[in-house]
Amino acid sequence: MRTRRLPPRLRRLVLAALLAAGGLAIAFPVRADAIRCRPMWDFSVEVDGSYPKEALFYQSDSRGKYFIDIPTCKSGLLLDLFAKRIVAVPRTLVSRVDGGLQVSDGASTGATAYAYSLDGGIIQFQAEEKKVRVVPALQRPPLTGQVSLDDLLADRAEYREGMKLYRPDAEAVAVIGKFPKPVEIEAFFATWCPHCKEYMPKFLRVMQDAKNPRIKLTLVGVPKGFGESPGPWKEHNVTGIPTIIVMIDGKEINRMGSGPGPGPEVELAETLKALR
Amino acid sequence: MSEAAGTPPREPAARRVLAVASRLGRVGLGIVFLAAGVLKALDPAEFAHQMSGYGLVGPGIAAVAAPLLIAFETTLGVALLVGFSTRATSAAAAALLLFFIGLEAYGLAKGRTESCGCFGPYVQRTPGQVIAEDLLFLALAGLAFLGARARPRDPSSPPLRPSRAAAVSVIAVAVLSLGFALASPSLPIDALVTGLSVGKSLSDLGIAGKVPADGRRLVGLLDLADPGAAAVAERLNALSGQAGAPAVLVLTPSSEEEKAAFLWSAVPDFEIQAVDRAVLKRLYRRLPRFFVVDGGRVVAVLDGAPPGPEDLLSLEAS
Repeated sequence: MRTRRLPPRLRRLVLAALLAAGGLAIAFPVRADAIRCRPMWDFSVEVDGSYPKEALFYQSDSRGKYFIDIPTCKSGLLLDLFAKRIVAVPRTLVSRVDGGLQVSDGASTGATAYAYSLDGGIIQFQAEEKKVRVVPALQRPPLTGQVSLDDLLADRAEYREGMKLYRPDAEAVAVIGKFPKPVEIEAFFATWCPHCKEYMPKFLRVMQDAKNPRIKLTLVGVPKGFGESPGPWKEHNVTGIPTIIVMIDGKEINRMGSGPGPGPEVELAETLKALR
Repeated sequence: MSEAAGTPPREPAARRVLAVASRLGRVGLGIVFLAAGVLKALDPAEFAHQMSGYGLVGPGIAAVAAPLLIAFETTLGVALLVGFSTRATSAAAAALLLFFIGLEAYGLAKGRTESCGCFGPYVQRTPGQVIAEDLLFLALAGLAFLGARARPRDPSSPPLRPSRAAAVSVIAVAVLSLGFALASPSLPIDALVTGLSVGKSLSDLGIAGKVPADGRRLVGLLDLADPGAAAVAERLNALSGQAGAPAVLVLTPSSEEEKAAFLWSAVPDFEIQAVDRAVLKRLYRRLPRFFVVDGGRVVAVLDGAPPGPEDLLSLEAS
């Protein structure tokens, strides 16, 4: 049987095209299986017993897949709940996109994989000789006693991000910002309390936006079972959290935060307006 | 001065006032106990949950004790209303109220701020308000007791005994109220008892910030710690994969820890939002419960098992 051969020039052209395609494939890995990930602030990543600020947990758009980014690890870590393993993803396959990440999932075959175990809501595993735990944020050891705003925000991503997302009522914030008398606010809250996780970032955003130097804010973290343990919450008869105590000239004017109602800025502005 | 022959001696004014006050106190207290029993009977599981919340009994004992206490309160209410053994019933009511006051004070000392559930889950009061209220009811019980004791008795009349009809009716109420408390969870009265019904807006339901107002969504109320939750998730996952099916959103009163454990084990293909139990409880008696929201309003409530695509398609058609 006679086979028809391609002309030499065309053969060279096809060969060049194949070589170029191969080169491009090596330089730019195929992103056909790329998944989009966005940070999940309800979880904290514990690495060797501490919570590095930059270590983040991401939810992906692919069901059952989550990404764990620990900057001190050489690779990113892709949690696959269906395959019940965590796969190391080379950093070259991870790119930052719109406040999240794009992770190539195609390179997972043959990559290093780690087993993980579950302890209730906590995922734990060992990767690159690091003991890693993914812990629901409310289950982390609580911050107790007086804490500065900077320390709180540095330690708790869920508060930091909650503040960024909240859009307070500008008119109410202006009222708070312009209030002429010195005001003392003591905020009792708990880092283990789900209601505080929703309320406190809003309240802190209001304080940040109001920028009123006459308002002195004191943050007090309360422990679990605070009803039975001594502390400033006992002195102020705090029975529920969060409790925001507003004081002028050392006299208590109002308590906020314990029940459903308008945004914290509206409630605080109403309180201050009534004093004018 | 002597009384005319055949005319009964006139009661002193103070005694007459006491008799009227006693009767009012007895009837008022009877209404209170009857209302408390009936309202609790609408959702006995919630009452059991509230009982165990005090930490004195576990959930198992509370589940058994709740229907019994509901039946007791209802019976006591009816007995007071019909004037059955007034001294005994008012004394029993006073003893029960003292127990409730002690329990609230104990809860308050422990830092408890939740509602007591004295009038079921749909009446919310603080422990302090409950104690004040119970003290008032205790005064009513005292009046009922004193009035019954002070009533003069004609020595020639036969000894006071409760009528047979009253005794039979009180026993019947005891049996019926226990039966109602036990059967209540299975009765189709959710639409009447809970705040969830067709036409309500997300704000009416108290979940405006949790469920997006735009588009059509199937909203599930689910206890993630329930052993059946994984099976529900499987069904909802299948639904999420169907073309044209509405987006699925689950609201749960479960804790963050339970939510996390559920995420890792059931691998849900839908969004889950934790909602304060006090807010969510107004929408259900038993979980799971489902409803469809369109443009921020409830367009259908589906009780029982999670709906399949065919259920939702029939809703679209209607």
